[in-house]
Amino acid sequence: MSERTTRRQFIDRSVRIIGFAGIGGAAGLLIRRASGDPVYQVDPSKCTACDLCRTSCVLSLSAVKAVNDFEKCGYCMLCPAYYDVASQPDEKGIPTGKVCPQDALKRRVVGKVDEDDPNNNYYEYVIDEIQCDGCGKCVKACMPPAGNGSLRLEIRYTRCVECNECAIQIVCPEGAIVRVPAPGLPPTENPGKGEHA
Amino acid sequence: MLNSRFQFIRSRRLWLLILVFATLASGVLFAQYQRKPPAFGGTYSFPTPAHPEPRSALVHVLDVLMLVAGLALGAWLILKRRSRNGVMMLSIGALAYFGFYRKGCVCPIGAIQNVTLSLVDRHYTISLGVIAFFFLPLAAALLCGRVFCGGVCPIGAAQDLVLLWPKKVPRKLDQALGWMAYTYLGLAVLFAGWGLHLKIGAWQIQTGRRFLICEWDPFIGLFRVSGPFHMLAIGAAFILAGMFIGRPYCRWLCPYGGLLSILSRFSWKNVQITPDKELDCGLCAEACPYGAIHNFRADRASCLACARCYEFCPRALELRGGPGRRDDLVQVKLP
Amino acid sequence: MNPGNKETEEIGLLDRFRKSWFPPVAVVGAFTAFVAAIFRVRPAPKTNPQTTEPAGRPRPPEQSFSIAAPRVELEREYSRSAVLGGSASTHPFRRSLAGVAIGAGDKIYALSDDQVRIFEPNGDFVQGWRVPQNASCLTVGPDGYVYVGTRGHVEIYDAAGGRIGGFAAGEKDEAADITALKIFRKEVLVADAAARLIRRYDSSGRQLGVIGINNKTGSFILPNKWLDFDVNSEGTIRATDTGRHLVTAWALDGSPLGSFGKFGMSNPEDFVGCCNPVNLALTPDGKIVTGEKMVARVKVYEPDGKLLAVIGPENFDPNCIHIHLAVDSRGRILAADPVRRQVSIFSLVAKTGLDKRSSTRGIHPSIDGKRGELERV
Repeated sequence: MSERTTRRQFIDRSVRIIGFAGIGGAAGLLIRRASGDPVYQVDPSKCTACDLCRTSCVLSLSAVKAVNDFEKCGYCMLCPAYYDVASQPDEKGIPTGKVCPQDALKRRVVGKVDEDDPNNNYYEYVIDEIQCDGCGKCVKACMPPAGNGSLRLEIRYTRCVECNECAIQIVCPEGAIVRVPAPGLPPTENPGKGEHA
Repeated sequence: MLNSRFQFIRSRRLWLLILVFATLASGVLFAQYQRKPPAFGGTYSFPTPAHPEPRSALVHVLDVLMLVAGLALGAWLILKRRSRNGVMMLSIGALAYFGFYRKGCVCPIGAIQNVTLSLVDRHYTISLGVIAFFFLPLAAALLCGRVFCGGVCPIGAAQDLVLLWPKKVPRKLDQALGWMAYTYLGLAVLFAGWGLHLKIGAWQIQTGRRFLICEWDPFIGLFRVSGPFHMLAIGAAFILAGMFIGRPYCRWLCPYGGLLSILSRFSWKNVQITPDKELDCGLCAEACPYGAIHNFRADRASCLACARCYEFCPRALELRGGPGRRDDLVQVKLP
Repeated sequence: MNPGNKETEEIGLLDRFRKSWFPPVAVVGAFTAFVAAIFRVRPAPKTNPQTTEPAGRPRPPEQSFSIAAPRVELEREYSRSAVLGGSASTHPFRRSLAGVAIGAGDKIYALSDDQVRIFEPNGDFVQGWRVPQNASCLTVGPDGYVYVGTRGHVEIYDAAGGRIGGFAAGEKDEAADITALKIFRKEVLVADAAARLIRRYDSSGRQLGVIGINNKTGSFILPNKWLDFDVNSEGTIRATDTGRHLVTAWALDGSPLGSFGKFGMSNPEDFVGCCNPVNLALTPDGKIVTGEKMVARVKVYEPDGKLLAVIGPENFDPNCIHIHLAVDSRGRILAADPVRRQVSIFSLVAKTGLDKRSSTRGIHPSIDGKRGELERV
């Protein structure tokens, strides 16, 4: 009887030692590879604004929203992401249709304002994040050659619950959802490949 | 005393200085947004682009600290204090923090996939928090048994707290169903590391790497209070089943539980139902809703450390000095 | 009635079934089959085939802005007579094509792959030399000197390619974003898209004046940050004002001389989209050639704004954000397509009556009739 407990104890002890060694070894190997807290973000150079971001997020209102890069934005009077340029123009020549179905793109005149000629002004375009549902219509409309490509889709961390596996990443046809280190800035495009194409 | 108060004020000024420096430094970092806008005339400056940060790393540090505290407290409550009430309180706390506050993510069950993928693919970034979440409960299982299941896991806590009318499951069925957990573990590892690539004649499956456990977690919809209908339905089904069958997910599906049960067999200290000597009366076996008591001893592999058996043990009652809370249910004839 | 003899007791079929290996295997098998069935129903994520497009934003799918243009009678018609620098030629433009200009004897100067390359009018390669990276435009003076614009600098090369000078352009605190260069008499005219002006310099780099300050809000409105212009032999400058969809005219001293153009998606006379026309050149007979993006096309106007010809979008890549233009002494329009990296040469076609069916397709001999390295279209 005592022999059996000794053998059992021996087995237990040796398995414990092997177990701890295994845990320590595997953990050590992984700790050497560990880096930061990666988060998911949209890579704007791959995104084609296909509308899957709006529907695939685990949240009912997607964590993906459109964002305007004000350095690239042209501040156009006839922003192709605001106005549906192919729609019927009114008597002043301004298109009547709008691109955003939620009316989330807000427009206001900035700088020195010329009241007589609206063409002579610059307009700032800002996304209202409460309205935006991440459909990407404005992003697609702003893509070159129609626009400067300043609008992009971005995962906003005010909403994102930071799942272990992003549900949008699974379905994205371009593989545009990538893991980046915190704070989660989108990967930038190649500098120098700007307007001078 | 006065000296220490003065020192405190001095260090506060130092902190203020550090804060000012940090703000200036971050201003320099954001200098990319300080380019001049086109001369619009009038006054205009670029709106400061709001880039909301993800949860700071401090939260993940807090998570690991809470995990360690939970495991330590659980081990103490289950092995030393031997209190069902304590374990229940701990599991309520774990459900509140790990479940509803952190929305059940990242959890050790999901960490299986991260660790697998990180071992398979060198370029997959894994964070220290995830590594801690995977390995710490395994180490705790080698030391103290399945204290993670008993006091810390929010999924286990959710099922444990709704267990109101436990029914016994026949032993063979219990054992048979237990194999599902290892199948799930194998599938989860396969999908997380490699994905499924099968070709049988003209029929083919090609999936990329997928996190099966994350996609099919029944309880994540409950913690987030949102989700697709089928996930919420499966979660509700598990909760409903959990009212009658003790912890069905934990016993028959949890892949991490499969790992813990293997390691728990060899643990250093484990659940001992009586405080000192066994009476072989079998009252504990009646109390255990998980069928984890075999031959009047806690089966190390399947004991989920819920501490219910302690309340029914006559030896424990006797040592406590007379009838305890459960004396209305237990008729004890002391020798 | 022996309770100990369990082994010899008659065991029912159901008991034997329950005690056998069958239930665990059945459960495991059922579970696996359930999971497999779920995954067969799930759509697998699509894998994108590798494209050989240059790095950058992928093409937006079917961004077709087909304009239902009313059939208008146009006076002129152009057809593509040749292509320079395409993939089939001996000197293809490999990585980039940033500008095109005409020199003495109608030689073609192309800014491509960080080099200036000179071609004879029939396409024979003459010579080439390296210029700084990211050079954005070039022009050729009457003396054969080549002027190349980079960020904040104008570099001057002699006819053989040796650098003979250069100067800094722009304000002290903001280097010029040089998008076009032209030589008029002894002056170098520099389009500065950062300051939204045309600057006049002498060859040593001293600024003589600016052109473009006019209206209430300052100067040109350039949402796409590109300013293009050309100057005729009398010194009248015609410049694009893309934000206001105008072709503007200026005198050298900066006084405005009028403008034409407006936004419109249906009338071919109008300029489409948010910022057009993006490029401009003048013909020797005083007509204005404009290039547009979004609907990549080249149009020819009278100086008062009457539309003379449209070279349609079928000749250009729909993803062009510029079509760099130059016109040689014979009136051939050279249009540089930076996406396909080729220079298309369009010649005036003698119009025979009103039947203008698809004359942009088919092979037409070029006006000079010489063979050379140009691809016959």
